[in-house]
Amino acid sequence: MRLSAYYAYAKKQFLSRSAYRFDHLMGILSTCLQFFIFYEIYRTLYGSKESVDGITMSMITTNFVLSLGLSAIFSPNDYFVPGRIWDGSISTELLRPMSFKGRMIAENVGDACFNLIFKFIPVLLIAIFTTGMEKPAGIGNMILFLISAILGYGVLWTISFLVQMTAFWLINIWSLITIKDVFVNVLSGMMIPLWFMPDWMAGVIKFTPFASIYFTPVQIYLGQLSISEIVFKCGVQLFWTVIIYALGNVLWNKGQKKLVVQGG
Amino acid sequence: MRDTIHLVAVYSKTTMRAWFQYRVDAFLKSLAVFLREATGIIVVFFTLLKFDTLGGWNIYEMLFLFSILFLTYGIMIIFFTGLRDFGKTVRDGSFDRFLLRPRGLLFQIIFVNSDWFAALGHGGLGIALFLISAGKAGINWNVQNALYYVFTIAGGVLIQGAIFLFIAVLNIYLLQTDSLKEMLYWNMRKFAGYPISIFHKIIQTLMIYVMPFAFVNYFPAQYLLRKDDMNSYPEIFMYITPIVGIVMYLVAYAFWRFSIRYYKSSGN
Repeated sequence: MRLSAYYAYAKKQFLSRSAYRFDHLMGILSTCLQFFIFYEIYRTLYGSKESVDGITMSMITTNFVLSLGLSAIFSPNDYFVPGRIWDGSISTELLRPMSFKGRMIAENVGDACFNLIFKFIPVLLIAIFTTGMEKPAGIGNMILFLISAILGYGVLWTISFLVQMTAFWLINIWSLITIKDVFVNVLSGMMIPLWFMPDWMAGVIKFTPFASIYFTPVQIYLGQLSISEIVFKCGVQLFWTVIIYALGNVLWNKGQKKLVVQGG
Repeated sequence: MRDTIHLVAVYSKTTMRAWFQYRVDAFLKSLAVFLREATGIIVVFFTLLKFDTLGGWNIYEMLFLFSILFLTYGIMIIFFTGLRDFGKTVRDGSFDRFLLRPRGLLFQIIFVNSDWFAALGHGGLGIALFLISAGKAGINWNVQNALYYVFTIAGGVLIQGAIFLFIAVLNIYLLQTDSLKEMLYWNMRKFAGYPISIFHKIIQTLMIYVMPFAFVNYFPAQYLLRKDDMNSYPEIFMYITPIVGIVMYLVAYAFWRFSIRYYKSSGN
């Protein structure tokens, strides 16, 4: 019975997204353009070279299609909590007989399902027909890729959750969210394949959660990791999800106590 | 005339006051814009650490190419914020107030608001990139080149201003043009940071003849840097940025004058 309420929220979100068709087409166009810019840049960089450091052009293409595609699916709503604090509706929402965070996850998952079907698949098809993308290294890799992608979503979602919690203290968190996006975009491998990061930078990234979001699933898809490495890297994804969620939760509990709603 | 200058001074003072009311917030917002816009440059920096050149352009030349794009946008947005947000002005009916005041419409739109966060973020990034790259990109900064640079920046500002003015005019007919602007302006701008010669022919044509970003930064940078890929374009393209800017602006202005007569208020 409880679960069906969350399902209803997810479904509602899914359906409400279908109302904005033009915005949606713009989103697909924007993701495709971003992909083609990276594709053309790397085609120019590679020139006639077969591979650079053992990385072939088709692996680069795969990295961009998958990470841009996953990011198009994930895109958690960074303004879910801040928006409700600004207009004060959070005070009534907290009174509802269901978990606020559960509802937040439900709506985000509804969003993600919509994006998966109507954004990721079109972009994927366009990319497959116009450029050379690698097939998954095997059936097992494909299944593990899916699991790791879901864990990657967990990492990105909790980062968003943590940043949103600061809205209890800061009225305007647009700046913070924008800066968060810069870190995610650069360090996750979505805009530059992490294979080509200089060693010192790779050393820094190793200790951040960003590579767990898109790059781990991509590496699994391409068959670059052995089974023990896959288990380790998925463990790292899980580790970050739990740690960041716990941090966010501390802020969530503190924030509710000092919640100041303007007006009433 | 003195009256006009006085009015501009008053307007500038009030917008500055409004935007910098909350100092910490203003600083954070400018920083966020700066970092967001720098994302593409950080990516190019790391990529070229690995590959040295992109289509024959080294890192300093690439940064110089980027710097013109950001500098022109930073200057442009000081004057054209009112046109960027013109759709809102029309939709909520506050444009009617402008119509009643004893000053030119465009004059009011240009001077009553300036997005200083965008100006500082973009302009600051443009200046930083210029300082890093101008000396090392191998440009001979004699009087002639310096003059060329000033005129070409002015041309780039006018080109983008004309595009904003043109899209703003469409609001009179369509009311809602945000998605159109996203498609025409922002999507094409994504290509503008890179040498256009690396892209597909269709994109190159769009960048030269439809949304002429190539004249904002690519051809001016070519005049100063003379890279090999310039051979595939007519030489004259390197000299006409100011002319493209003036012509586009005049055409957009004529369109504005023509359309404003058809303005119907959305409010009551």
